[in-house]
Amino acid sequence: MNYEFLAYGIINTACVVLVAPLFVSLVKKVKAWTQGRQGPSVFQTYYTLAKLLKKEVIYSRNASWITRVTPWACIASILVASLFVPLVYVTAPAGGIGNIILFLYLLVLGRFFMALAGLDAGSTFGGMGSSREMSIAAVIEPTTIIVFAALAFVFKSLNIIDMAGMAASSGTVVAPTLILLGISLFIILIVETAHIPVDNPETHLELTMIHEGMILEQSGRNLALMELSAAIKQVVLMALLINLIVPWGIATTLAPAAIGAALALFVAKGAILALVIGLFESSMAKMRFFRLPGLFMMAFFFSTLIILIEVFT
Amino acid sequence: MLDLIFQVAILLFLSGAAIAFLGAARDSRTARTLSLVCSAGASALLAIFAFVILVTGSPLSLAAWQPFPGISIAFFIDRLAAFFLVLIGAVAACVAVYSTGYVEHMEGGSRRNLLCGCTAIFVLAMALVVASATTISFLFFWELMAAASFMLVMYEYTHAGTTRAGIFYFVMTQLSTLFVMLGIIMLFVATGSFAIAPVHLTPASAPLVTAAFLALFVGFSIKAGIIPFHKWLPYAHPASPSPVSALMSGVMLKVAVYGLLRFLMAVFTPDLWWGVLILIAGTASAVLGVIYAIKEDDIKGLLAYSSIENIGIIFVGIGLFVIFSCTGFVLLATISLLAALFHSLNHALFKSLLFLTAGSVVHATHTRDIEQMGGLAARMPVTSALFFVGAAAIAALPPLNGFASELLVYTAFFESVTVADPFTKILLFICLALFALTSALSAACFVKAFGSIFLARPRSPESEQAHEVGPAMLAGPAILAAACVVLGVFSYQVLAGFGYHFPIPDLLLVSVLLLLMGALTYVILWFTASHKERTGETWGCGARSLPSSTEYTGHGFSEPIVTIFSSVYQTKKTVTKKYYDEHDCIFAEGTAEIRLLKFFEEYLYLPIARGATRAAGVIARMQNGCLDTYLLYVFVAVVAVILFLGVAA
Repeated sequence: MNYEFLAYGIINTACVVLVAPLFVSLVKKVKAWTQGRQGPSVFQTYYTLAKLLKKEVIYSRNASWITRVTPWACIASILVASLFVPLVYVTAPAGGIGNIILFLYLLVLGRFFMALAGLDAGSTFGGMGSSREMSIAAVIEPTTIIVFAALAFVFKSLNIIDMAGMAASSGTVVAPTLILLGISLFIILIVETAHIPVDNPETHLELTMIHEGMILEQSGRNLALMELSAAIKQVVLMALLINLIVPWGIATTLAPAAIGAALALFVAKGAILALVIGLFESSMAKMRFFRLPGLFMMAFFFSTLIILIEVFT
Repeated sequence: MLDLIFQVAILLFLSGAAIAFLGAARDSRTARTLSLVCSAGASALLAIFAFVILVTGSPLSLAAWQPFPGISIAFFIDRLAAFFLVLIGAVAACVAVYSTGYVEHMEGGSRRNLLCGCTAIFVLAMALVVASATTISFLFFWELMAAASFMLVMYEYTHAGTTRAGIFYFVMTQLSTLFVMLGIIMLFVATGSFAIAPVHLTPASAPLVTAAFLALFVGFSIKAGIIPFHKWLPYAHPASPSPVSALMSGVMLKVAVYGLLRFLMAVFTPDLWWGVLILIAGTASAVLGVIYAIKEDDIKGLLAYSSIENIGIIFVGIGLFVIFSCTGFVLLATISLLAALFHSLNHALFKSLLFLTAGSVVHATHTRDIEQMGGLAARMPVTSALFFVGAAAIAALPPLNGFASELLVYTAFFESVTVADPFTKILLFICLALFALTSALSAACFVKAFGSIFLARPRSPESEQAHEVGPAMLAGPAILAAACVVLGVFSYQVLAGFGYHFPIPDLLLVSVLLLLMGALTYVILWFTASHKERTGETWGCGARSLPSSTEYTGHGFSEPIVTIFSSVYQTKKTVTKKYYDEHDCIFAEGTAEIRLLKFFEEYLYLPIARGATRAAGVIARMQNGCLDTYLLYVFVAVVAVILFLGVAA
């Protein structure tokens, strides 16, 4: 592992942690605007996290070691996963970091712990959330893997950092299949980060909730870690979409100016994506749970179509 | 030197069996322990012996016994056989260690001695199947393995359901032997020898050799539990004692995998469609296996279905191996083959770990129904941690070994874009999607299993009073769990150590990064966050404290998946109604029943069984016990023989 890759790791992790809460608030702000409300400040998520860190942690009487381990497992797995997707600076990958399959399974690692923690306290809400989360994750998995296989097919590489490097160096050339892939990636982003129509991130204690149900028994520092890992997951998936489909501006050298510019540009692009997510969420209602497989099937056939196009051309 | 170790191991197994049988009359605990120690020592010796061959790569050949010319019992251990011997030895040693604690808690008096003895013979038979140099000795030990395992399945013969499970298992395992024998005889007809050696294809022998492959494939598939030949697993595993389940699921299924691999690599020159057949069979087993597993409430039934899924994954690897070697992609073929082998080893490790810890749980709670468990993480902390390692490994979580082998399968799939034929490519992509579905569903399945067994509060008085098991019952699984972690974290180094440098990520680096990130967060939060902690009640919508019956059950957990895949779980509704009047208007009474349709059993197994019964009925009519009829048969037979000889001359 060389010096540049080490620098990449530090810069990437720092940027991810710094900007992740911003996009969560941005989506909320957009949704508030469409509802004719002012909405909370765009820095609200930072305030919330800071407040949670100062609060005490309350464990359920029924909770086992799973509840205590889960926040750390979630944050560690998502932070490692965030190394796999370049945000502002791209260099040659090392040691298999960036492998697209490993990336996917690091997300599964966090989810596995989160689902167990949902069951741990013996609360019905938690169990319901876990059950739904695992079901949705299972049904979306074929789509995700086909999209990832299509990405590997288009870029002729299994490594996300390589892909981003290739996208950055090829510059403006965007293949039509990549735009189609972008749509599939967008659906995966919506599903994985608990947005409408799959999940409603705003409701607590409604039978519609999935992600919020699982973390209902978390509190204080642990809740802050769970919220932060959810925010990081969102920004990482956003970066995957942005830096593969519209990679302009990503830094390829370690010059501070280039990285600063890339960060500014990433925040701008992310803000546009957050706007799209917010509008997308506002434009539809939460879907009935058992209607979701239909949506996923659509995404699946869509991405299979891309593969077919790629294979036969 | 090496052959001496091998012989000592065999003798140790035999003496282990003899000691146990001799102590049976007195129900001797010493004899049992001594026998299990012999088995453990012999297994460990076998594993070390095979590991040496695996590392050095120089094969060992042993001629044992030749009763007739051309028919011989002989052993030949090359790297492939050595690999499976390591697997058998390592798992059997851990199971034997566990059993020293487990058998003493079992019911059955002196039958427990027979159990120990049969276990030694069973493990020995499996090892010798793998070591066999000729098809005859392969078949001989294959049948010995089947017989010994049947005895073990029938251990609790007084329990309801065991007899049915035993008969089911017996019929299936004999069918498997029958097909293997058929394949071996066809090979003999085609080549004129019982040696496991490459067949030289001539246009005349080609159909026969293909038929031999199909017969062997069916035979090995039955033993391995490939759908639709899988039905014996969910019967036999819940019925048999846990160490036996661990051996059968962890090791015996792998012997079938070994058989398929050995014949594919050493005897046949496969065609592309063979690979496609194996791939499709594997994918179907993987997907259906896990979908059935998720529905199970019986912990051992769940693990049995999950074995079907994992054998499916191994078959996917073998299928890819055949496809890639037929299309000339050597690197991809090697990756797929190693994926299949590595997953065989990994599945042997984590599935026996899961079966053993499940055995401890069943021992502590006196039930196999996961709905009756719960809250065991606090009562059995070590067992819960060990089960967790197994569940995380089988759910393919990085950096454990289950992920390492699935990563190889994925890599083979993802790199398969270079395969020339577009239609093969489409098939591979479909299988890839289903493979991903399998993997995600198995994660859901083991969240359900672990959550229902160990988390929340106990849902029965027995679970409430459960307590941790003894040291022997923790030591065996602990070794397996350690192996799961080590083989996962160091997977890259292990593969590189054997000379296979693949473009796969280094999981050691990932584990270090995971620890580093966790530690970093911990340190930062240590200085910034509050340290106050409190214990309170789970929030129950304002109720002061909720009973454990309000918890989310395993059944409820799997309900969404069951609903989504409802077309797979077909249900049968039976409604009977009685009315007071003749126009069927005034309802008097009735019954309604809804139950899960056992698709394969009701549409495949039972019709065949009924056909067999009917055929037996026809033949039985000839046996009427009347002397005149038998004289007539003799007369007809003599005339037929005379006619036949006359025509032949």
